[in-house]
Formats: sequence, C-alpha cells, structure tokens
Amino acid sequence: MPTDPPATLAAWLRTRSDEQLSALLAARPDVARPAPSDVVALASRLAVPVSVDRALDELDAATLQVLDVVLLAPTDGVAPDAIAAALPDVPVEVLTAGLERLTTRALLWGDDVLRAPDPVRRAVRHPAGLGRRASELRLALPGDLEATLAELDAEERGVLERLAGERPVGHLPDIPSDGGRTPARRLLTAGLLARIDALNVELPREIGLHLRGDAPFGPPRLRPEPAVTAHEQGSVDRRAAGAALESVGKVGELLGILEEEPAGLLRSGGVGVRDQKRLARELHVGEPDAAWLLELAYTAGLLDVGGPHRDEWLPTRGYDIWREQDLADRWATLAAGWLTGVRLPSLVGQRDVAGKAVNPLSPDLVRHTAPAIRRSALAVLAEYPPGSGLAPDDLVSLLRWRTPRRADRLAPVPAMLAEAARLGVVVGGVLSTAGRGLLAHGEDGAAMSIRGLLPAPVDHVLAQPDLSLIAPGPLVSELADTLAVVADVESSGGATVFRVSEASVRRALDHGWSASDLHDFFTRVSRTPVPQALDYLVDDVARQHGRLRVGSIESYVRSDDHGLLSQVLNDRRAASAELRRLAPGVLVSGLGADEVLTVLRDAGYAPAGENPGGAVLTRPAARPRAAGRRPGSDPSPAARPLTAPELAATVREMRAGDAALSARRGTAVRSVPGVTTASTLELLSRAIGAGLPVWLGYVDAQGSGSQRVVQPVSLVGGFLSGYDERRGENATFAVHRITSVALVEQGAEDAGRTA
Amino acid sequence: MSDGPLIVQSDKTLLLEVDHPLAKECRAAIAPFAELERSPEHVHTYRVTPLALWNARAAGHDAEQVVDALVRFSRYPVPHALLVDVADTMDRFGRLTLAQNPVHGLVLTSSDRAVLEEVVRSKRVAPMLGARIDADSVVVHASERGRLKQALLKIGWPAEDLAGYVDGAAHPIELDQSNWHLRDYQQQAVDGFWAGGSGVVVLPCGAGKTLVGAAAMAEAKATTLILVTNTVAGRQWKRELIARTSLTEEEIGEYSGERKEIRPVTIATYQVITTRRKGEYRHLDLFDAQDWGLIVYDEVHLLPAPIFRLTADLQSRRRLGLTATLVREDGREDDVFSLIGPKRYDAPWRDIEAQGYIAPAECIEVRVSLDDEERMTYAVAEPEERYRIAATAASKLPVIRRVLERHPDEPSLVIGAYLDQLDELGRALDAPVIQGSTTNREREKLFDAFRAGEIRTLVVSKVANFSIDLPEAAVAVQVSGTFGSRQEEAQRLGRVLRPKADGRQAHFYTVVSRDTLDSEYAAHRQRFLAEQGYAYTIVDAADLAGPGEVNGPDWVDEPAD
Repeated sequence: MPTDPPATLAAWLRTRSDEQLSALLAARPDVARPAPSDVVALASRLAVPVSVDRALDELDAATLQVLDVVLLAPTDGVAPDAIAAALPDVPVEVLTAGLERLTTRALLWGDDVLRAPDPVRRAVRHPAGLGRRASELRLALPGDLEATLAELDAEERGVLERLAGERPVGHLPDIPSDGGRTPARRLLTAGLLARIDALNVELPREIGLHLRGDAPFGPPRLRPEPAVTAHEQGSVDRRAAGAALESVGKVGELLGILEEEPAGLLRSGGVGVRDQKRLARELHVGEPDAAWLLELAYTAGLLDVGGPHRDEWLPTRGYDIWREQDLADRWATLAAGWLTGVRLPSLVGQRDVAGKAVNPLSPDLVRHTAPAIRRSALAVLAEYPPGSGLAPDDLVSLLRWRTPRRADRLAPVPAMLAEAARLGVVVGGVLSTAGRGLLAHGEDGAAMSIRGLLPAPVDHVLAQPDLSLIAPGPLVSELADTLAVVADVESSGGATVFRVSEASVRRALDHGWSASDLHDFFTRVSRTPVPQALDYLVDDVARQHGRLRVGSIESYVRSDDHGLLSQVLNDRRAASAELRRLAPGVLVSGLGADEVLTVLRDAGYAPAGENPGGAVLTRPAARPRAAGRRPGSDPSPAARPLTAPELAATVREMRAGDAALSARRGTAVRSVPGVTTASTLELLSRAIGAGLPVWLGYVDAQGSGSQRVVQPVSLVGGFLSGYDERRGENATFAVHRITSVALVEQGAEDAGRTA
Repeated sequence: MSDGPLIVQSDKTLLLEVDHPLAKECRAAIAPFAELERSPEHVHTYRVTPLALWNARAAGHDAEQVVDALVRFSRYPVPHALLVDVADTMDRFGRLTLAQNPVHGLVLTSSDRAVLEEVVRSKRVAPMLGARIDADSVVVHASERGRLKQALLKIGWPAEDLAGYVDGAAHPIELDQSNWHLRDYQQQAVDGFWAGGSGVVVLPCGAGKTLVGAAAMAEAKATTLILVTNTVAGRQWKRELIARTSLTEEEIGEYSGERKEIRPVTIATYQVITTRRKGEYRHLDLFDAQDWGLIVYDEVHLLPAPIFRLTADLQSRRRLGLTATLVREDGREDDVFSLIGPKRYDAPWRDIEAQGYIAPAECIEVRVSLDDEERMTYAVAEPEERYRIAATAASKLPVIRRVLERHPDEPSLVIGAYLDQLDELGRALDAPVIQGSTTNREREKLFDAFRAGEIRTLVVSKVANFSIDLPEAAVAVQVSGTFGSRQEEAQRLGRVLRPKADGRQAHFYTVVSRDTLDSEYAAHRQRFLAEQGYAYTIVDAADLAGPGEVNGPDWVDEPAD
C-alpha cells in the first residue's frame, strides 16, 4: 500500500470510509442533491462558494476559532499538535471536537497535516478577526513597526486597538467641521491603515498580530454557560394555557369584528392605521396588540384579502372551520402558523428608510429567514430539560456563539420570544409542554399537549338580576353565535360577561326573534332562574317593537300586476313557496329568495330576483369570503434531512462512479454521460496545475464531435486555452462544449488503491 | 384543571361565583387588591385597578400574595401577561418614599435611581423638588408634600408617605361606652386607619361611620376638625359626639353659614369653607386656627375640588375619610388616594347586613300607566320637559297612597325632586314637606316629631340625599329623582337601611311611569340596585296587593310544590 499522503481534496475524500462520507453528506446535504457521480464531482461540489458559506454559517465560535488557526498558519497545512499549541487556553476536548467537525464537513482535509481548501480560505474574510496582509492591501508598512507604533498618541493607538479586536474593518469618520484630522485619518496618512472603499478602512494583519501580542487568536471562544431559569413545569403549563386561551379568544373576537366590518386593504398592502385603531378600541387592547392579532390571524390562514373588489381584509373560509374546532386545535392552528410564518410581526410600527411606519399585514414584513431563526431559538430552549430554560438575553448570546456568522440575523429573536410568550409557547424563558409538542410534532403535537389544560366549552350561562349573563367558560360556538345577537359582550377572558340591554333585545327582535323565543331561550340556557327584570325587559321592548311592524321575512314577490299575484297565491304548484299577501302588490315568504325563485320557475312563471335597490339580479349574493391560501406544500424553507438509506445509496453511487472514472483512465476517451461540468472543471484545473495533457471530447460550433489531446494552459471566463497536439496549434475551447475529459497516461498507481 | 370559584378576565375584572364552597375564602383573599364593582345574586364582579393594587401595597400586601390568590382560586389558567402586569404595577409603589430627614427636612428617596431620574426630569414634578442630596434622594419643599404625591400618582410612581404626622394640640377625648359598644367592624376600621396613619374607611350608609370618626378622635386625643356636607349633618355629628364621647357641648364648635365657633373640636361644612368673596376663600384661616391633630372628612366621595386643594397643604396632619363608596362621579378617586390616603378599611353592604347591623331591604318598582291625556302631553312635550312630565304625572298619586297604605304603621318617607309635586303630595297625603328652603330649626323640629312617631309620613326633597339621620324610616317611596344617578340612589336607599328596633325589613319603592323616560331612568336604578345585590321586583300598579292579600307586604311565600 502506498504511504504517500493524498495530494488533493478528492484523493483525501477517496480515503475516507463510507461512514465518514455519509457523515459529510449528512452535514452538508446541499452537495448530496442531486447525487454526485463520483468523488471528483463531490470535491468540486464542496468547492462551490455558496455551499462553503452555508457550512461555515452553521459552525459555532469555538470551531471557527480552530479553523482560524489553520487559515492563519504561514504554511499550507498544519499539524494538529501545532493547532493545540496555538490555542493554549482551549481545552483539548473542545479542540478535538472542533477538528472533528471541520474534517467531517471537509472544511479541513488531510490526516497528519490539516489543510484548508481554497474556497474556505476565500469564504473566511477576516480569519480570527484579522485583516488582510499589508501586501494584499497594497500597503508598505514601515520597517520598524514596533517603533512606529510606540510613537503613536493614545487616540491613534486606541483606534488601532479597536480594529485589532473583533473586526479589522472600520468606518472612517467624517472630517470634523473645524478642518482638523481625526486619528483614523492620521493613521491612514501614516500608512498604518488601508482604505478599502470610500467609507471603510482595514487594519493590516501584521499590525493586528503585533497588537495582539502573544494571543494572536484572541481569547478562547468557549461556549457561554448562562444561568438556567427554572420554573415548575406544571405552573408553566398552566400559565401557557392561560396565554393560549387569551390568544384564541382575542383572535376569535378580532375575526368576528372583521366579519361585521372588514378592514380596508391599503394600496401598499396591509391594514391602515385607522382600521388598526378601530380594532384596538373594539378589542380593548393597545394598537400594537391589535397588529399582533392581525398578523397572527393572517399567518394562521384565518384572514386574507377578499371581497368583491379584493380590497378588504376578511375572515377566510378556513375561519369557518377553525371556529368550529375545539380550543386546543384552534390554538395549535395559531401556534403552527406563527412558527412557520415568514413574517415578523414585531416590525409593525417601525419606521422604514423613508421614515414611514410599517403597517400590519404589509408585505414589507416578510423575512424568509424568520421560520429558521424562530425554530433555532426555540430549539435551544428545547435542549433544556422540562421546567428550565434561559432568559432572552442569555438565549441570544448563546445563539450568537452557536452561529457567529449569522449573528446579524438574531436581531428579531427577543421579539420572537415575546411573541412565543403571548402565545403560551414559552413562559418565563421555559418552553411549555405545548411548545415542545409544537416543535417536535407540529400542529397535532401542539394540540395534543395542550388539550388537557384548556377548559371544556360550556353550553349554559348564569342570568343575573342586573341583566348580565355570565358564561362561566368558553362557549360552544352555536350558543356564542346566538348570544352575540341577543346580548352585548361586556368583558371577555376565561368567561364571557354578556349584558342584555334594550338595544340588544331590539336587535334580537330585528333578527326575527319573538318575545316568546327570547323567554324560551333564556329559560333554556340559563342555569339560574331567569330574573324577573329580564322578562320585563324583553316584554317592554317587544311591546314597543310591535307598534311599528318590523317583521323578519326572507323574501318577497312583488308585481304591478295584481291579477298575476293573485294567480300565484292561488296556484297549488307554488304552494311550497309559502307565500302570503302582505299588501296589495306584495307577497312575502319565510323562505329564502333563491328557494322562492326556484319554486316559481318550476311552476312555470318567469320571476327575476332583485336587490334592495330594485335592480334585477340573477342570484342572491352570498356572504363574502376571502379565498385564502390553498393548503399546499410546507412553507418551511428548511430542507428535509437526508435519511440513512439515502446517504448510503449516495455514497454507493459515488464509489461506483469513482471506480468507473479510474478504470477509464489511459484508454481512449468516449463521451461519458453523467460527467458534470463541475468535475470537468476540477479535472482541467488539476491538469493545468500539474501541466498534464488531457483527452478532450469536444463538440464544435457546427455540431460535429471530435476527440483530441490538448496540453491545457489556462482556464479563464469559461474558455480553456491550450496546445492541440494533434493539430499542432494553440486553440480555445468553450467549456460548455466539452463533453468529456480524461488525463492521458497518468496515475496508474492511484487506480490500484481505489479499485 | 382546578375548579376554583374565580374567573379572571382579560380586562382585569374578576368574576366570583358566590355559591361556590370556596367563595368566602376567595373573597377574603382578593378583597385587599380588588374593588368590588358589582354584587348581584350569583356572580360578583371585582376589578383590579392600579389604585387598588397600590392600596394593597400600602396595606402591606405584596405582589406574590396577589398572584398567588389569583392563581390559587382561578378556575381557568390565568394569562401570564396579566400576572406580570399585576406584579409590575405593584412594583411601582414604594420605589419612592417621602420621609423626614433630620438634616434636610422632607426628603424624597428612591430605591431605584432610574425612577428618581425620571421623576426629577418630569415637568410636572420638578418645580416641587429642591436640591439633590445624593444620587438617591432629593429635598422636597415641605409645602408641596400633598401636591407632590398627587403629581407622582399621575405619572404612575405613587410615593409611600412615611414622613409622619404632627401630634397637634392635645385634647382629652374618651369614648363613653356605658350603654353601647363599638362593633367589631368599626373597631377594625379604626385600627386599620390608625395603623396606616391616614386614609379612607369605606362603610355602607347606616353602618355607623360617625362612631368610627368618634373612635378615631378618642385614639388621637387631639383637637379635631370635622368637615361635613351640610349643617344638618354637622348637628347630627355634634349630637352623636356628645352622646358617645366625653366631649361636652362647650367643647364642640360649629363653623357654618350661621355660626363661626372655633373650639377644640370644630365641625365645619364644605360649603362655608368653599365660599368665596371677591375670588378669595374667606375661611381658609380655619385650618390654621388651631393646631389640629386630626381632620375628619365626612362623605369623601362628595368632597369638592377646592377642599382637595386645601387638603394638599395639610399633609402633616392625620386625615380620616369616611364614605359609603369610593366611586366618585367626577372620577377623582386618585386624588382621594394621594391626598387623603389609601383605603384602610372596607366592608361590603351585604356582609354588614348579614351581621344584622343594617336592615335588609326590598326594592320594588311600581309601574304606573299614564292616562291618555298624560300620554298625549308627554308625547308632544319638548325633550327637556319630558322627564318632568313623566315623573310628576298625577296618575302616580293614588299609587303612592296605596303603597303607603300597605305599611300603615311604618314611618315612611316620600322622596321627590320637583317642589310642585312635593307640595301637592304633602297636601294630598296630609304630610309635612321638607325642602331646601325649610329652615334648619323647622327641619329639626319635624325630624324630632318623626323620630318620636308623632308624624308618620314625611315628604322630602333632595335635601334627604345627604346626611340626615332618620333611624326609624322603614319605608321610602321615591317618586322622582335626578336622572337615575347612582350616588343618589345609594343615599336614598341608605335612608331606610338604618337598623330597625325589631329587625324588620325595609321597603324601598320607586313609582315610575310606564314607557316613558321615567322608566328608562328606572332601568339605571334597577341595574345599580341589582348590582349591589338587592332583590328588585317590578310590579304593575294594578297588581299592587294591600295588606292581608296574596303577595301583599306581609305575605309569606308558600313553598312552590
């Protein structure tokens, strides 16, 4: 067996075991889809900048610090011992784990000597928070750096030390009005800082290292160990249920209000301030709370744009289903909508660049990273055992350590946690059982975990002598609908306090109730004896009501032809329309207009429907509903993780492709389907680097294929230039026309190892 | 899930189911921090307001107790946000304290620098503060003690006043309990007040607030200024004090429109103090006339605005407020809190009624149908005239007579608002009329006769709304009123709630004209009384049974089955 260490990333990958390759694919799933054909293809896929960035983004600060050591080493390739020596304060197990993570992800490769692939070097802009070398910044540093630095005044030194900290790039301050020069500008003139664009300066690496002295990599970046907040899980769950009850109740009320009077759609999208104020007033909540409820209802699919002109915010059809569900399911819908929603409700009311406040439901609130951030924040809490969690600040600092390269995305986390608390997903920094259910098993899990904690709906009220009706719990939806007609809501929450007033009784009578219906209704639904005052109220109002005859009928039939009406009235075929004469020229029916129309048409008449204005309608209008979003694919942008069989299959496929590649080596090249551009490029780059001739399958502009041996010289801008041996001339080949590439008569000894 | 008696609403009202086995315990737990708003038959409503929470803090309760009470008795999970809000609100009280400093005098001290910074920068507060002593304390101009507390409450940082009180000029006062005893709740009220220093005692009408005042004076043993609503109430106080304490006629002065006496104990009316001549209050020196050790405010809920202003200057004297309700129709409850003091004792009507100290009452609304002529007059009347026409309809007269006939032996009051109507009633019922123009001497003569049983029926105007004491009135009939004012209702009901010698029931009738504004106002009244927990019955005039008849006043219900 050869003992030479592998010379390239691809060769090193080839030495990895199947398990290690599987782990690589699992850690960087983006390179596994579609399955790479062989190890060379895999290596070039791993080199794609987007993929490298993604892999780096997922690393914690401690691991990145290990990587920094390799990146900053003067040689290409560092022994593990040297890394340990460079980071004396980092415990060995942290170091080992970091190296393991990096090699697993192929962000470092090699066994005895660890190397960083070029794309990784390029992706880490400021390793260990240090700037580029002075030469790269085209800066000539003074010969005696130490002496120059010692001469600087305190202000200037302060600037340099700041830049030698976490970030080597700084903002150049404006020139002061007195025409003086700021320390940064003096440093710039002295050649100790490099200007990288109009506004920013960068500190060269040499100065940074010099200032850091014997700790060139900064302090060790160990995992922060924040204080754990603990609450008894039972009490957490009870309080979560309280929050859940509140959320469901308020969203229900909100949609009830919007059903009666929809909010207008602004031209820029969203709900206007006036509607927001109205809703806040009617719901007895603050305006920010009203915005939050609107957003919550929207992400849960209960509210959307609808109406005849698509210019109103209306409850969706989903709302009709939602309100029939039990409390647990209703809550789960809201919570799942929030968890997976791509909107940031906390941005409502903040001013944009133009100084305009963002409206609720505005399209400006969409942030596609939101679900991932939300989930990652809650996932941290889920790692703690039940009954314990973290304060928001600690959670943010832990997240910042975990994904330092994404720290800029963490700004909305505190607001997200506050939202989670309002929903009952988190209580006092501790994940509720329902919250855990939501994270682990989605909507169903959430509903299941909270069901036992929410009160069962009640089907009765307590009538009191002061004319209030108290529903001592959430009402079954049918009773809630009825009570909404005959009484006004005075206070809501765990219970609902309704008040029967003259106005509400009148409203009920307007809705077609009779006094005796109301008496019966109160007797039926009240657990307590109906107070005398309530009966008197109903009778008093009903008596007044009777003087002006305001009945409630469903439809009428009118005609100027009184004879025709008499004919209809006496027509047995039209009897099922239940018509009666109200006045000359008008028949009325308790049936709906559409039913009466159908009956009359069947009886051979030619009636036409009309709207209140008298205009002829083809059919009566239905209640307006927004279409809502179609239930479709999961909006979560998080990719599905690869399963073990998938990983194994991919690795197997690659091995086979690899075997094929090495077997073909040295033979005449055919066009090999399945060889990707990336692997072609990889091979060509290697050939250019090593100065080896290659077999090239090529299709020219006329479409005729050919195979030739080319000594490649450069690969630039999608074109390969080289010396075509067969034709004896320099030629340029468009990369996209190259069908196959193989090295000529090389690497026979490698083939034995792979096979 | 627990099955507690309490339901916590999102608007911070608490619903207490009274028939629940734990209801009593729960009421005791929530009473310190929640104001009883309504107490109808089945479910009582309490409200948790910032003021109520601060009252609780001032009385020594902490947020943990409040949260615990809510969580323990609540039937449903309590929203976390609400509990946090309660804790936050309570936390605001006591961050600032007012205390006497031996070097600097009155000093405002804070346990939280940020709060002090906020307060010092407040435009409203800054002018009342003097030099900064250190990071945590600042000198307060002594004269601004009251106004500062008022202003701090308005900006949401109520201060705890620990600056203490001057003793005032000593004057021996003892309770003379030879033939009566202070009731338990009265003693508790006095203890609560004395321990707190200053504050308000809330007791229902007829529960003996005067005695609480007398007992507080006996505790203070110092010169006392008593502020009352009117002269009659003042004489009432004087009579009670002479009867129940060691004070003699000579030691008690009356400072009213008629007399200007300043004695160790002086009783002054609100009116005389707020009288202005040429834009100046002429009787302010009364407050400095003596080194008062105690100031008693009767009927705090009626305290006029100028007296609030004067009270702001009296913060170093002990102040006792007495009232039946903290609800002020002008919404100045927070001024009462900051200037007179927090609520120190509170007992709901029904509890005291249950102990037998006030008479149980039955409220009956009698509906009268107007005759056709009256209906027509009503229908065509100007809107502003309508209520008067409905309330003073002649059709009411026979009904009123019939009501009085139901209680032939009971002392009865007929209460109205329109003088024409009262005069007419007086003639028709052959009863004397007491109204605003009746002289105090004449009034007292009639009251004495009424008390002695020589006169069975009195017709009174709105003067009856305030502190007159008619111990034996068992029946009140109101025929017209001030647009259903709740406060008026409470006062009028109070007329008949004084305990009867034989524990008889009190009857409170309202005669209203059907289908008019009168009955609309009656609906307000009905709601108020039902919310107070009184049985309220509506009867048609035609169905009003006399004594001995079915459903008559002495009718005892047979069991239904």
